[in-house]
Amino acid sequence: MQNTTPFKTYAMGLIAFVILLPLLIHSQVLATEILIFAMAAIGCNLLLGYSGLLSFGQSLFFGGGAYAASILSINFDVSLLTVIGFTLIVGIALAVLVGFFSIRRQGIYFVMITLAFGQLGYYAAFLAEDFTGGEDGLLDVPRVALKLPFLPDVHFDTDISFYILTSVLFVLSVMLMQLVVNSPFGSVLQAIRQNENRAEAIGYRVKLYKIAIFAFSGAITALSGALYALMLNFAPLSNIDIEISETILFMCVLGGLGSIFGSIVGAAVFLLASDFLSELWPRWMLILGFLVILVMLYARGGLWASLMIMLERAKEILGIKEKHNV
Amino acid sequence: MSLYLFQILNGVGLGMIYFLMGVGLTIIFGMMNFVNFAHGAFYALGAYACYVVMSITGSFWAGLVLAPICIGILALGIEKVLVRRLYAVDHSIQILITIGVMMMIREGTLLIWGTVPKSIRVPELLAGIVAFDDFVYPVYRLFIVGVTALIGIGLWLLLEKTRFGMVIRAGSERPHMVALLGINIDKLFSMTFIGGVALAGVAGALIAPIRGVDAFMGVEALGIAFVVVVIGGMGSFSGALIGGLIVGLVQSFTSGFWPAGTNVMIYSVMALIIMFRPNGLLGRA
Repeated sequence: MQNTTPFKTYAMGLIAFVILLPLLIHSQVLATEILIFAMAAIGCNLLLGYSGLLSFGQSLFFGGGAYAASILSINFDVSLLTVIGFTLIVGIALAVLVGFFSIRRQGIYFVMITLAFGQLGYYAAFLAEDFTGGEDGLLDVPRVALKLPFLPDVHFDTDISFYILTSVLFVLSVMLMQLVVNSPFGSVLQAIRQNENRAEAIGYRVKLYKIAIFAFSGAITALSGALYALMLNFAPLSNIDIEISETILFMCVLGGLGSIFGSIVGAAVFLLASDFLSELWPRWMLILGFLVILVMLYARGGLWASLMIMLERAKEILGIKEKHNV
Repeated sequence: MSLYLFQILNGVGLGMIYFLMGVGLTIIFGMMNFVNFAHGAFYALGAYACYVVMSITGSFWAGLVLAPICIGILALGIEKVLVRRLYAVDHSIQILITIGVMMMIREGTLLIWGTVPKSIRVPELLAGIVAFDDFVYPVYRLFIVGVTALIGIGLWLLLEKTRFGMVIRAGSERPHMVALLGINIDKLFSMTFIGGVALAGVAGALIAPIRGVDAFMGVEALGIAFVVVVIGGMGSFSGALIGGLIVGLVQSFTSGFWPAGTNVMIYSVMALIIMFRPNGLLGRA
């Protein structure tokens, strides 16, 4: 699954994507939301798709990031960079903690332990009213300005400016993750996913690798949670709910496991469908559940892989045969 | 003193409900190596089935008996159409597909019965309280302890003392060997799945008069059922019993001094146990 597309092409593709997205869907808010959840889905894919770790604790990182950013922005006069830095630290700390406990077991136990941590986080947030606002969540979260030395402050109060901020963070973090999964470190993770015992026997310290990928996942997921809270100006308790884990997982699976671009497609399709269908029929998730079953039964590569296969077929039909090495 | 007795009885009652949830999950996993994330949804459906039967017939007893049967029939259908294809696939795929099933059931119940919780009244016979000296206790909660204990004993006898149970236990150790001995393993799997899911239905129907019935009870119960099997050890009958009782008692005692913190306490106890016994208390390595 090693990707050979040059790094530059990737960057250009991503930049083109973030420029075209708001033009295509005519809503900067929805476009912002797509980028935010694409980051969360990539965080999930790092664990599930690239390392074979099915985590139900993603809501903890997402909600944790949202609370961290909100608490800091509400209570202190800080710069945006401080907020982002703090969010990343909180996300990494939570992920390392969950990772430390959950990777003691594999397979189904691992899944159940991450789910239990997700639930623990939810109930803890519910209890810690002084910090999280409990059931009401944190209201009036300000979008703090970016304060740079010798330059005027940059504010993000309009939809378009916030979209630009999200795009920049999106492109940077996706490129970073692309580097990570294509690095030797990423290859070791693939090896662990395919045969853990063998990877261990060769001499890799499997547990350290797993905790490290947890940290990456926690960081990007927390960042997306933080952006979501800033976008809404609100950090509700539902950010840390198990349903967020489910949503993120679905986006990741729908788009395709083991593909960063797949996650972006998954998040976009999910949010566009929900935007469109939820107005027609409030119980549209019924269809989504059915769709997930179908994807898992018949198209495990997800939408991205299906799209690629269709492109190949189209090329064959049109007679544009390309030589390629898989 | 009577306060402690009250809390112990409450804890045992809840614990036995959790045991019913956990044991279905654990038997299905142990036997068929199948992870059922829709287990909580079946529990919620059990409660709804009880509510529906009761509103048609007016009898709680009919609801209690018919609910698991309805859930069992549904499980039969789902097993034939879907679950049967999944025995050989990876756990993560089983999980994602059963989450799809869970979502469909949850949205389906919301579609049919709406978001307003339903309540079930217990029959006259069980509605009162019992009193010993200064100790009073609701009859219905005693009834839960009694019924679940009977089901637990019945299940234990079935698994340990009958030929059928012997085959199930053998099947959970070496399914291929059992199939080679001429036993219809497909039929056995299908029966196990139906039985395990029906137990979740029973649990849902039993808890309904205390907790009320809504679409979100499934997720809540799924989390608890996982804690039960993680504590007890996956695939172990007695593990599910001990796990269920521990969770029930922790919940009941915590609610005595810190009502809001019961869930946090349950999950913390679990974290503590897996720190020292990663396989659960009675789990096999």
